[in-house]
Order: sequence, then C-alpha cells, then structure tokens
Amino acid sequence: MAVQNWIDVLKSSKKTALIHDGKRKIHYLFTDGKEMSEEYDLKTDELIVRKWRHKSTLGAHGQWEVEVGEPLAGPVNSSDSEVIKENCSNPVFMRKDTKTSFQWRIRNLPYPKDVFSVSVEPSDRCIIIKTSNKKYYKKFNITDLDRSQLPLDNSALSFTHANNTLIVSYKKPKETLTLEQELLKELKKLKGSGEGDVDCKTQ
Amino acid sequence: MATTKVPEVRDITRIERIGAHSHIRGLGLDDALEPRQVSQGMVGQLASRRAAGIILEMIKDGHIAGRAVLIAGQPGTGKTAIAMGIAQSLGPDTPFTALAGSEIFSLEMSKTEALSQAFRKAIGVRIKEETEIIEGEVVEIQIDRPATGTGAKVGKLTLKTTEMETIYDLGNKMIDSLSKEKVQAGDVITIDKATGKISKLGRSFTRARDYDAMGAQTQFVQCPEGELQKRKEVVHTVSLHEIDVINSRTQGFLALFSGDTGEIKSEVREQINAKVCEWREEGKAEIIPGVLFIDEVHMLDMECFSFLNRALESDLSPVLIMATNRGITRIRGTNYQSPHGIPIDLLDRLLIIATSPYSEKETRQILKIRCEEEDVDLSEEAHTVLTRIGMETSLRYAIQLISTAGLVCRKRKGTEVQVEDIKRVYSLFLDEARSSQYMKEYQDSFLFNETQTGSMDTS
Repeated sequence: MAVQNWIDVLKSSKKTALIHDGKRKIHYLFTDGKEMSEEYDLKTDELIVRKWRHKSTLGAHGQWEVEVGEPLAGPVNSSDSEVIKENCSNPVFMRKDTKTSFQWRIRNLPYPKDVFSVSVEPSDRCIIIKTSNKKYYKKFNITDLDRSQLPLDNSALSFTHANNTLIVSYKKPKETLTLEQELLKELKKLKGSGEGDVDCKTQ
Repeated sequence: MATTKVPEVRDITRIERIGAHSHIRGLGLDDALEPRQVSQGMVGQLASRRAAGIILEMIKDGHIAGRAVLIAGQPGTGKTAIAMGIAQSLGPDTPFTALAGSEIFSLEMSKTEALSQAFRKAIGVRIKEETEIIEGEVVEIQIDRPATGTGAKVGKLTLKTTEMETIYDLGNKMIDSLSKEKVQAGDVITIDKATGKISKLGRSFTRARDYDAMGAQTQFVQCPEGELQKRKEVVHTVSLHEIDVINSRTQGFLALFSGDTGEIKSEVREQINAKVCEWREEGKAEIIPGVLFIDEVHMLDMECFSFLNRALESDLSPVLIMATNRGITRIRGTNYQSPHGIPIDLLDRLLIIATSPYSEKETRQILKIRCEEEDVDLSEEAHTVLTRIGMETSLRYAIQLISTAGLVCRKRKGTEVQVEDIKRVYSLFLDEARSSQYMKEYQDSFLFNETQTGSMDTS
C-alpha cells in the first residue's frame, strides 16, 4: 500500500525532537538528504508548521520551504532587497490545517465571492483557484495525498470568503487521519521532552 | 585613409572603460582559419593567429584535455592580445580564466592550491538545475527616483499572465537591469528569481497594433498562461571550482563562524570529481574544458612548473595557454638557465607560438584602431609621426600618447590631433629610452645614486 510506503519512509528517517515554547518540534532527516521539520501544538496536537529543505544538485543547502504554516519572515538581507520580491499588497498563500481537513488561506483578496472558482483537477493531482477578473490564479498540490498516493475527490472540496480572505478546505480522507494519529503516537514516544537545548544529532 | 571606417554601435546606457585590449573582439580569422590582415581588432601576426585558430578549434571540440600552449615573443607584440582574441571567440559559455604568474604568490594559500583552483575554474560543467522563474507580460513599470538625486531608487513592476496579475517590488540592481534591457509595458519577460537575470522573450500580441518605433527583429509572442512563478529546468554552466566551494563550506550554524573558504580539501575535490563523472555517465551533465591563461609565466617557480607537469596529465584538465616575453633566463627557484625561464621537460609538452615585432604598416593600423577605440581623431601627418614614434620607441608608448594628445588637442579647442599636439606630449612624457638616457646623464643628482646595480633582476 502506498500509505504504508510513506510511513516506512518516516520511520526510517532520523528524528530529533524537542519541546519548546509549548510546541513539540521534530526534525526529520531522510536517507536521500532531504530534511523536514514539523511543529505541533502541545495541547491540541495540531500541526502548526511543516517545512522542507532540499539539497540542490550541486550540493548546496537550499532555503526552507514552508508547506504548512506562516511563511518565514526572516530578517531582510540586503542582497534580497537588491533583486525582486512580491509587493506586500499581493495575495498571500498559506496552508493551515485543522484536525479534520486540509485548509488553505489566501489573504489580501478583496474581491466578492462569486469571482472565485475552485476546482479539483484529478489528472494533474492538483487544485486550481481561478478568478473571473483575472487577478489571481493558483495551482497547488495536496502534498500529503501525493505522498500517500491517494486519489483526489471533488466532493471533499469547499471554499468560503470573508474578510478579504479566501479559505479553501479539503476534507482529509480516512487513510490520512489514521496515518496522522499513528504518527503522533510515534512522535510522543520520542524522548527529548525536556525544555531547552537538546543535542541535534542530525546536524 | 585606406580602409573605410566601420561605424560602431555603442551601448550608451552602460559606461565602459577602455582597457589595453578592449579593441579586440576575436582572432580575425575566416572560416578556413586563414587570418585576415586586419580584422576584429587584430593586425598582422598572421602565422601566430593562424596557430591560435587551430588551438581554438581544438578547444571548441573539447575532446583533447591537458594540452599546453606557450605564446612567446618580445614585449608589445600582441601575446596577450592573441589570448584575449581566443577568449572572445570562445564565447561566454566556455570558461576562460586569466591570471598573471605573480597572482599565485599569496599568503592565504599555497602556490599549488592557487594553481589547482585556477585549473578548476577553467573547467565548466553544464548541468540542469531547477530554478524559480517569473514569466509574464509587463503591464506597468514605475520607477521613482528620489527628489534629491541621490539615494536608493524605488520601483514597482506589474506583471500578468492570461490568468493573474502580481505587483513586485524592485531592488536597485533590478531597476538597473530593467532599464539596461529597455523593458517597457507590453514586453514579455522572464526573470530568474535567484540571480535576477532578465531575458526578453518578445512583445505581446495584444500590443501588435501599436505602431511604435520597433526594430525589425521584434518578435511577437503570446501572453504566458497560468501562474506567474514557475519552476523551470535551466541548463547552466558552473565551474568545478564553484562546486568545490559550495561543498566545502561548513554547513549548519557553524557556517556563521567560518570565514572564506581558503584551501579546499583534496577529499572534497575527489568526491566532486567522482560525482561529476557519475553525472556525465548518466547524461545529466556535460563537461566543458575551458582555457586557463597564465600571463608572465616566467614568474612561476620550479614547484609550480612541476605541478603543471602533473596537472596536465589529468583528464579533467583544461587547455593551458601561457605567455612570456623572456628569452633564455634563470628558472625561478633554481640556478639553472632555460629558454623562457621554463624547465625543458615542461617545454617539451608545449606547442609554442612565436610572435614577431610589428612592421611599420601594422603599427600604423594598430594605432588607427586604438584611436577609434579611444575616440580620438588623428590627422594624417600626426598619424605618420605617431607611427614613427611607435617604431622607434615602443608600440605601448605610442598608444599612451594617443589619449594624452587627444586631451591636449581638446584643451586648445581643436577637433583633430595635429603634429603639434603629438610633439607637445612627446616632450612632456619621456619614453623608456629617453628616460634611461636622462638617468645616465643626471644620476649623480638623484637620491640613492650610489646603489649601482648593473641591470634590474627581474627573473
């Protein structure tokens, strides 16, 4: 089973855990050199942040890519401002899951609800957000389902619009829910529960 | 003048400084590798240019690694010019690394390390990498210059595809390159997000009806579809040295405490060589052997020469071009004399190209080319006088006089440099021979004149 596959990959990875700031932080190092870092809320066990880092072909460390949670707001380097970046008035895309569904929020979209259309493209395994006034367009995958190789279903998708924010929700399938519970159980077994600095073996 | 003047198209937006060899644009050969008398800034030296052309073909083929070429000749006979010509004809994709022999003597790293870095800089690897690019049609560019005239410019760029529109904030570098590329509303452009490189794809079809002043080569393209930011596989060339540096940097938070890379461990190099060979076998990468040019090669010492001997045997070695103006002289670091100051065993591996002094006609041509390059108008008589000076003193001295005479001429509000201007600067600035003469006559009145060395030890 494909879901099993992903569990095995997770199990084989080197994990380092620490509890800090009311969050359980886990760092995974996979055998192919990829790194994943997750943060869970200690009380609600909700996933707050999940980010990835890949090595480039030439062997350089890439930037952290945020999959779930707020985009990184690091200090602005002078070299960054030299080139090009999105204006702050542009729509901001981020994923923030709930217990039962994957959820994406796009802020800064001051258009009425009937402008938007959200659909699933099963052949491309992605969700497409379109606007009839041609201001915003986004094509994105549900990475969790891709990893478990589960099919996409149009009926699981819904969206609302309020306060200049478009919220797209996709109900998590059964397989994902069981996987997440299992993973969480596994993570709670990891030691490193003490506050403060923990040796990070993976670095 | 004998030949017609070719009007040059100059890029006005970028101010270029005129270097000693900035007039050289190639080797000046035709398709059969026959040298033209005057072409691409090169004059004369027909045999050497032809030889260089053959070497060039060999480099372009890229099959033969580790060949070494020596360009030998008197000072001012165009050795560096030939090397520059090769570099220009190779184009931007073949790595060309130039260094002077004295550059490898550094306190930061050993001589052999400096040489191996130079060698690895001259080997390119063409590899596919995924990068993030922005592709869209320009809706609007807005650049605000501060009212005071100084300080950072602020800019905004609005790009769209058929589906969406995004506003970007521009940094200073981006503003400069946008204005250099003359990007305007209606152009379809791609921007490499990491490097900031802009390429113009053409003009959007929706703007086809504006009858702007546009060149014949303007291409019309469709407005891109879908998202503005895309991941694209791009092929680019990096040098082995760059891969070394990326992989030898301390990773993680320790990187904050380590300074520059300094010496690179040989294990890292071996790993990378193995990796590159693997990529090549898998068809992921292509190796482009480039050119390493070492000027003033007699400045290298015995250890460096023996290192070169060994380095040329590696199959990952570039074509090495060296230049020297020395005759039979001491090899640095030994007491042995050898031709060009290079040990015989290394000389045996070299293909030697000789350059010969320029004839009067060739000197005249070169001076004319330099006048065009430096934007100085020379009258016919002044040109003749300058050629005489070039023949009797040195070509370099004559070239120095061009811009100085040009300035003198401009100060007296003349438009064309006359013989008087040349005479004026000739009397103002001494050439090497006259300077030596002066020294001989008046050395008693100079400071430290009792140190009587026969000749300068330059080996």
